Amino acid sequence: MISIVVPIKQVPDMERVKFDKEKGTVDRSSAPGEINPFDLNALEAAVQIKEKLGATVTTVSMGPPQAEAALRDALSRGADRGILLVDRAFAGADTWATSYTLASAIQRLGQTDLIVCGEKTVDGDTGQVGPEIAEWLDIPHVAYVSEIKNVGEKMVVVCDMEGDRYLMESRFPLLITVTKDINSPRLPSFSDKLKARKAEIEKCTAEELSAVADASRFGLKGSPTRLNKVIVPSEEGRKGEIFRGNPEETALRLADALKEGGLSENVK
Amino acid sequence: MTNVQELQRIVGGDWVTTKREQIESYLMDEVYVAVRPQPSNDVVVVKPANTEEISKIMKLANREKIPVYPRGGGTGLLGGAVPTQDGIVLSLERLDRVEEVDKDNLMVVVQAGVTLGDLLKAVEDEDLLFPPHPGDEGAQVGGMVACNAGGTRAVKYGVVRNYVKGLEVVLPTGEILNMGGKLLKNNTGLDLMHLLIDSEGILGIITKVIFRLYPRFAGIATLVVSWDDRHAAIRTVPKILQSGVIPLAMEYVERDVIEISAEHLGLKWPAAKGKAHLIVIVSGSSEDDVYSQCQQISDVCQEHGAVDTLIAERKEEQAEILKMRSEIYTPLKSRMADGLDITVPPANVGKVFDAIEEIAKRFGVTVHTFGHAADGNLHPSIMMDAVEKGVFKEVKKEIYRAAADLGGVVSGEHGVGKARLGEFDLYVDAKSKELMRGMKRLFDPNNILNPGTAIM
Repeated sequence: MISIVVPIKQVPDMERVKFDKEKGTVDRSSAPGEINPFDLNALEAAVQIKEKLGATVTTVSMGPPQAEAALRDALSRGADRGILLVDRAFAGADTWATSYTLASAIQRLGQTDLIVCGEKTVDGDTGQVGPEIAEWLDIPHVAYVSEIKNVGEKMVVVCDMEGDRYLMESRFPLLITVTKDINSPRLPSFSDKLKARKAEIEKCTAEELSAVADASRFGLKGSPTRLNKVIVPSEEGRKGEIFRGNPEETALRLADALKEGGLSENVK
Repeated sequence: MTNVQELQRIVGGDWVTTKREQIESYLMDEVYVAVRPQPSNDVVVVKPANTEEISKIMKLANREKIPVYPRGGGTGLLGGAVPTQDGIVLSLERLDRVEEVDKDNLMVVVQAGVTLGDLLKAVEDEDLLFPPHPGDEGAQVGGMVACNAGGTRAVKYGVVRNYVKGLEVVLPTGEILNMGGKLLKNNTGLDLMHLLIDSEGILGIITKVIFRLYPRFAGIATLVVSWDDRHAAIRTVPKILQSGVIPLAMEYVERDVIEISAEHLGLKWPAAKGKAHLIVIVSGSSEDDVYSQCQQISDVCQEHGAVDTLIAERKEEQAEILKMRSEIYTPLKSRMADGLDITVPPANVGKVFDAIEEIAKRFGVTVHTFGHAADGNLHPSIMMDAVEKGVFKEVKKEIYRAAADLGGVVSGEHGVGKARLGEFDLYVDAKSKELMRGMKRLFDPNNILNPGTAIM
């Protein structure tokens, strides 16, 4: 039976989340957390493989204790196991430390044939963590997969990159990151939801993970990225203005207004 | 001075339009093809900036006896906003300010041209809630109040009328009237405010509205419950209500129709089992509260033959389900002759479904029916094949007859407009009509405000 791992992240509801303009950080208490939407596509892809060929689907998440809710949601949508990497030592991680920690957790699980990630998270938006996990584990990866053609001895997928489509084939173990086009994530049934609410979520601390990893690479201290400044752009509303006069004059004034507003540099 | 010049003097030259290409979009609303009224060609579109300007326009129109057609978002389904005589289309689009979200009184004060979408956003930004959701978010609040819009959430919280606490209105004779206020109780004299609500723009022009607000739900979830059999699904609706849970909304849809809507929107209908579905939206004071209500609903549904119950909790998943339901008639519309709005006592919903199916079968035509299962308000959509076969009017008449026989009415939420005047005449008794006409004369002695609408 194939063993599949789906790393997931709990992200704030991006429509509701507020930004702390002073500190330049996301105020995570301002919106409830949920599974990163791209990770739902990853999970759906994994569950479809499970339904077709038989597989175990394990979801792994690194996050605060509240991230348990995201793992429960994943269980209700067809995952078999949920593991939460939860420790203060993991906090403040950039993509480098995050991918190292997740890769270590996957290594600790033992034999894994396929890792399916969402193409990126909606809060970080880097798209780096998936491919970096593959690099840490020294396995091949295909990013931006929009279609799975075949899963057999090898895996054949279609990936969309920079406007082109590629047909790719790989041996296992393999990591893929998937786009939103790959599927429509299912809704959980209510009874599965209830079961997931009571299910056990396995926890893994930094100390436990140290058996297979270098703890100095976790969290903030393992992160080479330094954040100097974050600017939250302010929203500007519409500014209506009516120009009157002869067409030539008004056209010139319109051009000036566009330049002033930074909307166009090359109006002639 | 001509009337157009006088209008220009009132609102400014930029806000009076007579050019055909610029008034085109002000001549029609969302009225169904087979019952579409003919708009007049000689129309001036005026866009006043405030209540005072509207008052001046009405004084002018009343003096000169010029018909005035107030216009909001143009989302009405019965031609209520269509100017059928030469006259003025008075668009409220510039009265688009949310004046105040009053957190202490839990009220919001909005100008009439604010759209439902903008209202919802302004209220949500303050962590509050405007409970009803009448569908198209491009609708303007003035029109929503004038037509007493309904929508999916009426099961638990009622229709727009239940939220209106105050109105500012310009009468056909030009006086400005304030009705109600930020008050939860008000028994001073006859309630003119509630007379204005659902008056379809024939008694006055609503310029400002005070709505009551509620705290935002702590939790909200959407269940999609599936049955193999329509009757089992519909029979379950009263059982759910009897069990003590009042959902926010309970919508009945059939798979073949909702899948057309889903495809049109590029979405996927989530239920794979069954062919008859209830969309049940549940709100609660906490996540646990929502779950316990869902549990109760799911149990009742299972007892009554449901084959599957799915749950959507993520905002976008719930929004997609609601969107598929809200826009169910969009893809049908090009082939739709008329969309009815009958309402029967809730317990008769199953019987009226049967009757419609029998009528459609007898005439050999297509009627897609969906609707608000819990409040008895159904929308049978008569498709164009009925027109092509020359039986459209008969089919419609029989459906109305069936609804009336089951204790129902012609319109639950869309109103009469200009397209249902015949039915109004048939199904409203003589004395009621006489009182309504008297009321209209009292407010509008020269019959200039939206003439030929709502009553006859």
